[in-house]
Amino acid sequence: MRRLVTALLLFAAVGAAGAQTPPPGVTLTVFAASDLAFAFYEIVPRFEKALGVKVSLVLGSSGNFARQIEHGAPADVFFSADEQFVDRLVERGFAIRESRALYAQGRIVLATPRVAGRKLRDVRQLLDPRVRHVAIANPLHAPYGRAAEEALRRVGVWETVKGKLVYAENIRQALQYVQTGSVDAGLVALSIARVPEIDWVAIEPTLYGPLNQAAGVVRASQRPELALAFIQFVNGPEGRPIMKRYGFQLPGEF
Amino acid sequence: MDLFPLWLSLGVSLTATALTLLLGVPMAWVLARKRFPGRNFLEALVVLPLVLPPTVLGYYLLLLLGRRGPVGAALAALGAEIAFTWRAAVVAAVVGSIALLIKAAQAGFESVDRQLEQAARTLGRSEWGVFWSVTLPLAWRAVLAGTILAFCRAMGEFGITLMLAGSIPGRTQTLPLAIYDHVQANQMREANALALIAVGVVALLVFGLSRFARVRF
Amino acid sequence: MARNMITVAVVKRLPGFTLDIAWSAEEPVAVLFGPSGAGKTLTLQCLAGLIRPEAGRIVVDGRVFFDAALGINLPPPRRRIGYVFQGYALFPHLTVTGNVAFGLRDRPRAERLDRTREVIERLGLRGIEERYPRELSGGQRQRVALGRALAIDPALLLLDEPLSALDRPLRESLRDELRRILDDWQRAVVVVTHDFAEAYRLGDRVIVYDAGRVVQSAPRSELLWQPASESVARIMGIRNVLRGTVVKATSDRIQVRWRGLTLEAVNSPTRSYLPPPDAPIAFFIRPEYVRLIRKDRGAPDPVHHMNLMTGVVVSDVDFGTTWTLRIRLDEPGEPAQGAFDLEVEVPRLVYEILEIDRDRHWQLSIHRGSIHVLPA
Repeated sequence: MRRLVTALLLFAAVGAAGAQTPPPGVTLTVFAASDLAFAFYEIVPRFEKALGVKVSLVLGSSGNFARQIEHGAPADVFFSADEQFVDRLVERGFAIRESRALYAQGRIVLATPRVAGRKLRDVRQLLDPRVRHVAIANPLHAPYGRAAEEALRRVGVWETVKGKLVYAENIRQALQYVQTGSVDAGLVALSIARVPEIDWVAIEPTLYGPLNQAAGVVRASQRPELALAFIQFVNGPEGRPIMKRYGFQLPGEF
Repeated sequence: MDLFPLWLSLGVSLTATALTLLLGVPMAWVLARKRFPGRNFLEALVVLPLVLPPTVLGYYLLLLLGRRGPVGAALAALGAEIAFTWRAAVVAAVVGSIALLIKAAQAGFESVDRQLEQAARTLGRSEWGVFWSVTLPLAWRAVLAGTILAFCRAMGEFGITLMLAGSIPGRTQTLPLAIYDHVQANQMREANALALIAVGVVALLVFGLSRFARVRF
Repeated sequence: MARNMITVAVVKRLPGFTLDIAWSAEEPVAVLFGPSGAGKTLTLQCLAGLIRPEAGRIVVDGRVFFDAALGINLPPPRRRIGYVFQGYALFPHLTVTGNVAFGLRDRPRAERLDRTREVIERLGLRGIEERYPRELSGGQRQRVALGRALAIDPALLLLDEPLSALDRPLRESLRDELRRILDDWQRAVVVVTHDFAEAYRLGDRVIVYDAGRVVQSAPRSELLWQPASESVARIMGIRNVLRGTVVKATSDRIQVRWRGLTLEAVNSPTRSYLPPPDAPIAFFIRPEYVRLIRKDRGAPDPVHHMNLMTGVVVSDVDFGTTWTLRIRLDEPGEPAQGAFDLEVEVPRLVYEILEIDRDRHWQLSIHRGSIHVLPA
């Protein structure tokens, strides 16, 4: 029995040793909203090459990120899908006010899975009884979800379509539902909609409040200049074309 | 392919399981054998992590262990950090899995005939001695089962880890988080590969342990 | 034989049951006897220190184990008690040797081995030392349990229903063997049993328990002939416990009116018991002391035959070596014990010679010394 305990403690020690992080060079930690995935997959390597640094890209939910940053998450810069998360961090002193910058305006689109065969062109078509499940990001905590709800209300179909809604964790998950054909349609972000499995059609921007997406440098960052450089890179001549290609409206254009 | 998540998860899970045993076995024994005020409360507390949504749990832990939290701030003053490090992944794994060990071990201890423990007392053993020489040897199978469960749960721990440790690649991105991120990014090949490795490694470990248990009848 | 003194007085309250007992024993083997649930095992547990009484005092061989007033409560390891549990509580994960040696852990290795070997030898366990409890017979398990308790050289040995887990023939042969072992070891012993024959065979002093109290504490023979009360007699399983009315009582005789008859019994020799006339009185008649009067020998003889009565056998049961008859008296009125008045036990030989299966009507005689009055 004593041997077993010793073995256990040995395991723990080995485990602890093995879990140590690898020695870093200069690494910039970027917390980015999920809808920036495809765009940043292109932008980040370019930035790395241009400045000779490593970037640790962490994708996830803006709401979660904001909370984590308040509690000491080791992010250097935060790209939020909703400007209010960044603004709140600035207000509470967790992000540097001067670094706060709009980097894009998001758009939502109506997406249908190609396998469904029938492409929907108008939000009003969601009323069709053959459309049984519609995916959106959860309006409670996802800005794209809020925008989707707003659009549905403005068009006047919310009351009926409400019962068909499938709430996804975030915009990526909503996209997955559509991609896999698990739902008949979905309202997803334009920036991630360019995948072969779906067809999409734009939703009139006047139907929902602007999805201003802002970024900010985290106050606790050890390398704020590098963080700011990244924001500027995204908003600069290298980053803008890529963002545009993925369907983001750029600062200056909205 | 980057296998860092695998090594991280293995290390985290082994550490977490060791901690779980150290904390969980005594708790299981206390719950099995002792009557005291607040006992029901303790039992409810033990299973709470199984009931609460992981992200919520992670959030509460973050409130406690983050830089602004009471415990986190104290530790930060001493130069130690928990949140957003691999240590947070260990904490998350322990919180998520300890209930499994405690319940299994508790059932095992309760099934040991009290008369045997009384006999050991009359034959000169202290309470501690009774535990080591009678209770544990007779309940070891239940404890082993609980340990296997706890280890598997630790290997699969997701929601709490995501909140408390973040999914920072190369630092706190454990195997389950890596699989999830790949799936989210539509990188199914990588996701499937990692999932297969995860299942394979755990199956091997569990198989080995079960063989060990059977050989010792 | 060394003089061992146990003095016990404890009060323990449990939901629905209160134990409030006091007794002391100087004899080597004291037996706690009584029906199940009377508090005998609870007393053992208090003696062993496994349960803490609310009040009282326990002294064994001059050592104070427990004293509520002084706040003394020795934990079990300090009391040096050998406890043989009902069901034996052998450690299933240890061999016979492992079980026997369990209490010897804090002794030097050589001494431990010697002692274990000695115990195994004395209890006839050689040859099965490496077996596990599940591979042993009931009798072997009992001996292992005994050996384990005796190995630590205890000051006090406690046996809880040592024979009840065994089947009948084994029980009787082991009963004798157990007594032999107890004599051999010369320890203070407390045995718990609900079987009177066992209590009588194993014990020197019998302490009778009923519903959490001690109703009689006496050397065994005194208990046999003078149960302290009707309830004690019932606990002992004595048959023919009857009730009547006093006609007249003197220091050596008591006349009792019962079922229309006037019986004459001897008064209790150890106490002056003089109930007034018309007082209710209980008494018992041992079934084996009721004589059936042979019909071929002429009229009954008053010197040998007394307390005459007649009755008819209403049922009989064959117990192999004896027959138990149930007889209803010819007297008018309701029979004393349901459908019959007296139980009578006759040896098989007598049953056959008298042809009781055919001839059901008999005259009975009971010697006055065979009617035992019970104090109220």
